[in-house]
Amino acid sequence: TPTTPNHPKPLYLCSPFVEAALVKGNFKHIVAQPKYADVMEWVAVNILDFYQNLNQFYGVLAECCTQQSCPTMTAGPTLNYTWINQDRKSVQLPAPTYIDYVMTWVQNQLDDENEFPTKSGRDFPQNFPSRAKHIYRQLLRVFAHLYHAHYPQILHLRSEPHFNSLFAHFLAFGKEYDLLDVKDIKGQQGAAVGIGALWERWKEMGILEA
Amino acid sequence: SSSNEKPADYVYFERTTAGFSDDAIPKAKTAQLKLEHFYKVAVDAAIERNQRRVELERKLAADTTMSEERKQRQLQQLGKRESAFLRLRRTKLGLDDFRTVKVIGKGAFGEVRVVQKTDTGKIYAMKTLRKDEMLKKDQLAHVRAERDVLAESNSPWVVQLYYSFQDSAYLYLIMEFLPGGDLMTMLIKYDTFSEDVTRFYIAECVLAIEAVHQLGFIHRDIKPDNILIDKDGHIKLSDFGLSTGFHKQHDSSYYQRLLDSANGVASPTTAARNSVMVNAINLTMSSKDQIATWKANRRKLAYSTVGTPDYIAPEIFLQKGYGNECDWWSLGAIMFECLVGYPPFCSESTHETYHKIIQWQNYLMFPDDVHLSREAEDLIRRLITSPDRRLAVEQIKHHPFFYGVNWTGIRNIEAPFIPRLRSITDTSYFPTDELEQVPDEPVGADTTGASKDLAFLGYTFKRFTISSQAF
Ligand SMILES: Nc1ncnc2c1ncn2[C@@H]1O[C@H](COP(=O)(O)OP(=O)(O)OP(=O)(O)O)[C@@H](O)[C@H]1O
Repeated sequence: TPTTPNHPKPLYLCSPFVEAALVKGNFKHIVAQPKYADVMEWVAVNILDFYQNLNQFYGVLAECCTQQSCPTMTAGPTLNYTWINQDRKSVQLPAPTYIDYVMTWVQNQLDDENEFPTKSGRDFPQNFPSRAKHIYRQLLRVFAHLYHAHYPQILHLRSEPHFNSLFAHFLAFGKEYDLLDVKDIKGQQGAAVGIGALWERWKEMGILEA
Repeated sequence: SSSNEKPADYVYFERTTAGFSDDAIPKAKTAQLKLEHFYKVAVDAAIERNQRRVELERKLAADTTMSEERKQRQLQQLGKRESAFLRLRRTKLGLDDFRTVKVIGKGAFGEVRVVQKTDTGKIYAMKTLRKDEMLKKDQLAHVRAERDVLAESNSPWVVQLYYSFQDSAYLYLIMEFLPGGDLMTMLIKYDTFSEDVTRFYIAECVLAIEAVHQLGFIHRDIKPDNILIDKDGHIKLSDFGLSTGFHKQHDSSYYQRLLDSANGVASPTTAARNSVMVNAINLTMSSKDQIATWKANRRKLAYSTVGTPDYIAPEIFLQKGYGNECDWWSLGAIMFECLVGYPPFCSESTHETYHKIIQWQNYLMFPDDVHLSREAEDLIRRLITSPDRRLAVEQIKHHPFFYGVNWTGIRNIEAPFIPRLRSITDTSYFPTDELEQVPDEPVGADTTGASKDLAFLGYTFKRFTISSQAF
């Protein structure tokens, strides 16, 4: 398995890595909705930022995430994500394929003037909140896989303060705007597994709000 | 317990880059720098947004005459502007969104065009800058400074920057278009100005330079080509290519280090930034004829990457440190040119000009055949002098040459030359027929640039205020 066998606890939950952060302090200020502004504009621009920042890091780690190293899209011993294909069937995909589908799909959404309007006078579609939630859930899965399968590589590249802060920000924002699908990181029976445990830990540490 | 006691779950992890491709390390570094930049901007934006809101709320609370309903509407307006700004951040403006009306200028690293934004029909000036040329000439920090000065200022004395974007080959700055041309073109046309006309332009320059200094910048490259004329005949400064701010991002060696660290190279000491290269042009000051040659070459020199040293203060060449006084020297040289017809140290070659500037005591001469008032000559002599004796801004304003100048209202009085414009895209004040070999439409690029793009991190800029005007 990708985690070092003599540390049963994932590295990202261990000291000093669990504390590593680029951004110190509370995310409240940069998560807060600009007063009087439209919440959809706020969510839209943040989704774009999360997508671009995550994509940037995935671009670095992609060489370590192959069909051989990651034949399934896992995020923990009991967490395995499936992709819903065109026939509405849920299928197992190698992680790099899955992530490629996600990133391409999100990019297409962001570029779609009907889903994410940029021209003045054009409104967001009625179903924007559920669209946003959908995108958020897929991005969360990418984070979850990278934490689960590629954290040692993040450490080798000395990127853990950056990656941790990006993810903590993502969680804080998702919680504030009700975009997170908690069951996606909780595994079976609602037990905190994988990055679900990281979330709990960051709450205890005060990095995230309880 | 001792402070270096480790928690029970403390793990030692042996880090190594073995097993990664050669690309991975610089790519990881790039991702880190970009994220650092992202959070810095995010925090600043949150603070600024908050300030805008608190300011408006306070203003409304203090206003006892305005109705509650109108106050609510003003707050909603702010919300609309903030929303439009958030949307603008998602909007990808690119070359396709602009149409060239005409090429109007050429600079060291690219051209300046009048462009029209296709959807709104609004007119702007677009400056293109070649990234590879700038990297070669170590000009990055300079352009960074230019962007920052233009971006941070709301001053009427500084050309407004509205938007900037980039592709792998070029940086694009979208600025307000000043249809009146520049002071260089005007001097080429009129040779000299009367003292009254000179007083007007130099007084406006005093206020413009003061405004730049108040922003915390030294321009260092004030010359007639950078003094632009707006539609009413008043001036604005542009081209902060050489200006130095106090931000650490403006230090070129900082970018070089960024690039090197991203490429895994140990940084060599970078070349001195201000080395002035020599580019011979023919000029002798003895006959009118040859002054004409100088004038003819003047524009070519403006287009070259070396630029003209005619207006640069000696302490800048000497590299022993300088302050914002250097800009007042330049103003003295421009004033001399306005009244005499050529700058005080112009010579056959830039090398000689440089020599004369260093030895200014021996070379500053007022020709016999041009009459200058005592006040004019005195002011020039108090500007073209050693830094410790040079007048400071308040002393300049009180100098007898400026007797009668209304320093607070000068921008509102009628200018001596008001451009006569037939349309919003009239370019008759620009030497457009002298611009050869410039493609009408910018070429653009999409070859994916490698790590050198890192040096241009943070160049993309969107001004908050314009979003409400349907940019
Ligand atoms: N906003 C503007 N509106 C109208 N004309 C402009 C504007 N900006 C620049 N120009 C014209 O284009 C010319 C070249 O611009 P500028 O001096 O900024 O270029 P540059 O590349 O910085 O050149 P250099 O660094 O050699 O001075 C100016 O002299 C002026 O005539």
